[in-house]
Order: sequence, then structure tokens, then C-alpha cells
Amino acid sequence: MDRRKFLKTGFQAAAFISIASVGGYLAHQTLNDELVWQIDPYKCTQCGRCADSCVLSQSAVKCVHVYKMCGYCDLCGGYFVPQAKELNTGAENQLCPTKALKRTFVEKPYYKYEIDEALCIGCAKCVKGCEAFGNGSLHLQVVQSICKNCNQCSIAKVCPSDAFVRVPTNKAYLLKSGWKG
Amino acid sequence: MKNSSKKWIKISSVTTAAVFFILILYWQNMKPDVAIIENIPGMDKPSGEIIQKIESIKIGEKFEKLTEETSSLNSAWSAFRGTDRKNIATSTISINENWDAKPPKLVWKAKMGEGHAAPAIWKGIAYILDYDEVKKEDVLRSFNIETGKELWRRSYKVHLKRNHGMSRTVPAVTEKFIVTLGPRGHVMCMERTSGNLLWVIDIEKEYESEIPFWYTGQCPLIDNETAIIATGGKNLLIAVDCNTGKILWQSPNEKKWKMSHSSVMPMIFEDVKMYVYAAVGGLCGIEAEGENAGKILFEITDFSPQVVAPSPVQLDKSRIFITAGYGAGSAVITIKKSDTNFLAKTEKKFTPGAGAASEQQTPVMINGFMYIIMPKDAGAMKNQFICFHPSDCGKAVWSSGKKDRYGLGPYMVINDKFLILNDDGTLTMLKVSDKNFIKITERKLFEGQDAWGPLAFADGYLLLRDSKNLFCFDLK
Repeated sequence: MDRRKFLKTGFQAAAFISIASVGGYLAHQTLNDELVWQIDPYKCTQCGRCADSCVLSQSAVKCVHVYKMCGYCDLCGGYFVPQAKELNTGAENQLCPTKALKRTFVEKPYYKYEIDEALCIGCAKCVKGCEAFGNGSLHLQVVQSICKNCNQCSIAKVCPSDAFVRVPTNKAYLLKSGWKG
Repeated sequence: MKNSSKKWIKISSVTTAAVFFILILYWQNMKPDVAIIENIPGMDKPSGEIIQKIESIKIGEKFEKLTEETSSLNSAWSAFRGTDRKNIATSTISINENWDAKPPKLVWKAKMGEGHAAPAIWKGIAYILDYDEVKKEDVLRSFNIETGKELWRRSYKVHLKRNHGMSRTVPAVTEKFIVTLGPRGHVMCMERTSGNLLWVIDIEKEYESEIPFWYTGQCPLIDNETAIIATGGKNLLIAVDCNTGKILWQSPNEKKWKMSHSSVMPMIFEDVKMYVYAAVGGLCGIEAEGENAGKILFEITDFSPQVVAPSPVQLDKSRIFITAGYGAGSAVITIKKSDTNFLAKTEKKFTPGAGAASEQQTPVMINGFMYIIMPKDAGAMKNQFICFHPSDCGKAVWSSGKKDRYGLGPYMVINDKFLILNDDGTLTMLKVSDKNFIKITERKLFEGQDAWGPLAFADGYLLLRDSKNLFCFDLK
């Protein structure tokens, strides 16, 4: 390759990289600028309206669990009805109306609590129990893969605590932070 | 109507009924689209057998002398809620109220294992039963409250798993003794000054007790050189001679009540001193003195939640207030003397939003009024600090209001001021008043998490903690 050809190829490559970088940056910015609906868990009052105000037949709002905060008590305020007679999987002791919250023994005294997303209707009964008797590790979130991202969210319209907020797609979930230290 | 029409109506009716019957039969026998799974007990159990490891625990096995230091201080906060368990400190030292001009001064800070255990103070030395997460040991630590220097440790190996903290009790201290109750029911009695081990009890093993959820929260009591411990299991309460370790009496536990997080509270009804205990199962009063010491004087099962953390409080000459979290609310129990015994009767029960209630902390009675922080499930009163008159625990005299809410943290009285520590390390000073909520000052003392351990105060020093650190502040 002679010097002239080398310089020409070099300039072409530099131009291509610059255009690609600018394009990538713009695409990233555009994606960031796109907003989606989400629930601020610290504002949510577990009123239960998420379950039946969504335009979808089964709400896009589901319960999520921050394991680093909790998720292992035998007596779980999110799983059991208050003053449950026995701490077992009997239907009469469970808060969840759809059995979306599953309890599995790990080792004494730990139990694992998992949410079956397909069964969860976002009624917030478990969230309310966890908030009242636990440390709030269970909370509601809009599942972005299900949400239609309507311009005017029908749940946001009826949310009594203004917990529905618009967030950028790259920070689409507002999970509780758990331990600070 | 013609006969043919009648016949036709009959035929069509019978046919319709038959079709309907066949459809019902078909529907009854049809399998559902989705398999129905019954929710029955035991679905969370492991498939294999649970193998329980048997640990050999040598309670109080290790001793470590760290610093030789003495203190000239003389006051005491000798146990859970102070010497008389009322949570009221009387101090001749003036407490600074102007925190804007002179904030409480951090004297020292010590790292703790995750938990809510709190110290007792005797003559300038603070004693706290901590859990060492690295060595996996319950460890009684002693600190000079003026300097923060650690003096000695007595410890023993015991395996605990993180369960919303590990440690959560306050030792009982006298001039001669220290009695501790560990997370898994291990009792140690030591000489106070030397730390020498006098005697031990493994409650879980010896009394077949069931350790409550999230480990033991009961704080031991020393009454006239006798340690009083609620064991649950084989016996309800036991009294142990601190000098010898000899069991002086054991109350029967025919109803198989279990140990709770609540602590034994001495009370006097009709001139009879008794130890009142809120077990998992019910509330009881046990004769404290004389030849019948240990006898159950009354028991009542009307208020028996699965978890009881606050201790019972005597409202007046004949009534007890008992409360618990997790939706339990509270109850007022009347105690009356019958011919040979005492009779306990529920005067009134309250749901959390309908009357005074607490989840963790025990309310404070002062000047004939009861002060309490309401639980998270108390509706509009959630986490508010509220004053009640004992005559009506369903009607607030005043409340702190929507803007002043507190968490699960502790509160106490120093002279005529309340100190309330919020979960996040914010300390608030209020005036003790049965007329209004009067806030004097407030300051965030540290970036805290779950600052739930009870407060301890002596000689102008306030000891408080979050889940991982113990702090000593000078309030003078």
C-alpha cells in the first residue's frame, strides 16, 4: 500500500467510526428518552386498584421480591393471613387469592418465597401484609414485557397515592434498595 | 286448551328437563381445563428427612481480658427498661435541650454483630450480649461508657443464622452479678466485676423450650439476687439463686405455653407481688415471694397471638395492658382477687386501628398516662406517638399527627422528657405532657438501619444502636 492509499483508507475508517459512534450515541439517547410506566414502591399504599384497573384482562402489575431485604421468615406477613392458626400451606392460612406466592422450605428456620408471575394479579394483598408485618421486601412493579405502555395509563389515573411515575427505559424498574450499609 | 297442546307442553317440558339433566351430568363429569391443586398443609415441606445437627455448646467457655480500666461514675440502668422496668430515668445531671447550638456529642462507637441487643449500665460500665459473626459466638462485652474502651469479654461458640438480626436481649446487672440470655436460650451468670462464670443453663435443652421466631428477645430479670427467666417448655417460669445457681422454684406449664419475646414484669395486685408474663399461649401472673413463690395466681388465654414482643404494663391497681404486633392489637385485662387465687378477665380488646397497640416496644406509663408508638397496621394512626388515659385505651388524648411518625425504634423518659429513636437514627426529644404533643428538638445522629434496640441512659450518657453499631452520646 502506498502512502496516498494508506491515508485515504485511514480517513475513510475514521469517518466510518465517527458516524457509527454518533449514530450509536443518538440511538442510545433516543432509547433513554423513551419513558415507561412504573410504580414507586415507597409511595404505593397497596389499595388493590392495580388488579382491576389495567386495560389488560390480567394486570401488567405484579408483585416482586427483593431477596436481599428479606425472603426467608417462617412467619411471613406477606404469605400468611394475620393471626393465621397454623404456619403451613393450608389455603385458609394463605393471603394470596391465586396461590401466586409459593413457599418452600430451605433449611431450619428459612423458607423461600417466590412469585409465580403468571398467577399474580397485582392485588397487593401480600404487599400490604409484608409492609405491615415485615420490612416491605415484597412490592408491586409494572412488568415491562407485559405492559402496553399506554399514553394514559388507566391504573395511574385511579392511583390514590400518585405512585405511578414515568421512568426511562434503561431504568425501567424501581426496586427497593434494601440494606444501606 | 286442547288436549294435543297439553300433551305437546308435557313432552317439551320433559325433553327440556332431560336435556338439562344430561348437560348437568356431562358438566359434572367433565375434567376442568386447568388442573385444580388443593392447598393443603405440608406442601412446603422438603422431600427428604431434615437432619438436625446436635451441637455441643459450652456456655461461657471463653474469657478474654482486654483493658484494665475503672470508672468513677455511679448511676445505673441495670436491665431492660431500667432498674424498675418502667423505662424512666431520673437524672440529677442536667440534659442539654438546645441541640441546634450544642448537638449531642458522639463519645464513642463500637461495631456490633447484626442485631438489636442493648446494653445495661452499672457504675460507668456498659454490658451488652453481642453476637460475633466471624467467630460465631455469643459474647458478653463490657465497655467503659466514658472512653469506649472494651474491658473484657465472655463468650461461647453457638451457630446462628442471620434472621433479621441475631442478638436481641438486654442483660440484667447488679452490684454482684450479670445474667444474660442468649439468642438460643443460653443463660450465663457471672460476677460483675471480674466476669468470672458462676453458673449456666441451656434452656432449650434442659427445659425443652421452643426458641421463638427470630431468636430469643426476652430480657432476664434479677430480683433480690434471684434470676427470673420464662422458659416455656417443661416449666413456665423459673427462679434461680444467683449465688449458687440453685433452682429455687419452677412454675408448672400444663398448658404447654411457649416462650415469647416479652419479658417478665414484676407487678403488685392486692398487696401480692407477682411476675406477670405474656407467653405464646396466654398471660399469667406468678406469685413472686413467700412459701407459695412460683404458684400460678392467674392465667388467661383471651389474648394469645403467635408473636408477642412488648411486655405487659400495669395500668393501675387492678388492670394490665397487653399488646402485640402482626395484627393482634391489644387487650386490657382486669385482675381481681378471689378467695384463694386471682381472677383475670378481659375488659376490652382492640384491633390495631381501634385502640392503643404496639408491635415491638413496650409502652411507657408516666404520671398516670400511657404513651405508645402505634404499629404499621394502625390505619391513620400508623407509627404515630400517642398518649392514652388508662381509663380508655381506645381514645387518644393526643397524637403526634401525620407529620410526626416514628418507626419500630425505642423510646424512654429522662426526667420530664421523652427520647424517641426512629429506625433511621433520628433522635427526637419531647416534653412529657398529657395535654399536647410538644416537640422540643430533633436530630439525625447517625445513618442508621433498623435502630430498634432499647435505649440505655446513665450519668448523662445515652447508649443507642442501629443493627450494626453501638453508639454512646453525651447528652449533658
